[in-house]
Amino acid sequence: MADIELLDRGYTAIMEQVVSTGTAPHFTELAHELGIELDEANDLVHELVASTPGWMHPGTDYLASFPPFNLQPTHYRVTVDGEQRWFAQCGLEATAIRWLVPGSTVQIEAPCLCCAEPIVVKMCDEEIISADPADVVGYTSAEVGGDPSTRPFR
Amino acid sequence: MNLFRSEEHARNWGGFDDSMSSGLKPLAEWADIFSNPFFRERGRRDYISWTRSDAGRDAFIALRERLPRRDA
Repeated sequence: MADIELLDRGYTAIMEQVVSTGTAPHFTELAHELGIELDEANDLVHELVASTPGWMHPGTDYLASFPPFNLQPTHYRVTVDGEQRWFAQCGLEATAIRWLVPGSTVQIEAPCLCCAEPIVVKMCDEEIISADPADVVGYTSAEVGGDPSTRPFR
Repeated sequence: MNLFRSEEHARNWGGFDDSMSSGLKPLAEWADIFSNPFFRERGRRDYISWTRSDAGRDAFIALRERLPRRDA
């Protein structure tokens, strides 16, 4: 188990790269950046993912989800200040991306799972700038923060 | 954990579960729930430490109180 200072450094390194590029570092890159051993970096990523909560792509050491973002593309495309580079972990976490880019306009685009027609939401800090259609709702059929083993599949 | 064009669209979705009807909320309500400090503070450089502080624990307790639960 990593010490808390290393957990903070690892979390920050991953989040900063995801926010700036839409990609996450591989654990080998993280080891280099943090000045730690490869095995320690691999364990660190797994520990962070378990606590954030995100997930690795099953059976690999590839970071797939680091909330509120997803590194593996989802149907929640996220545009920040006109640049589409990110994907949200889910429709609900998409609404939390604005806190990582203060002062920026975050646009969330997704097809409705019922009809495939588009949903477009724009947010900036505290404000929902627009929602199209106006009656957009969010729904979860699973209790948020439920069984970790089903996290990538719901 | 998805967005839908309307309540009707969500209820017509094949994955809708009547026992989790409390999980259906307007966008603005979900946006407010995801304004909890647990989400707002993700940009701080001591975020993991913060989640384990009294402030972080208080935020998580407040968050859990607002999250939908399956009907008994």
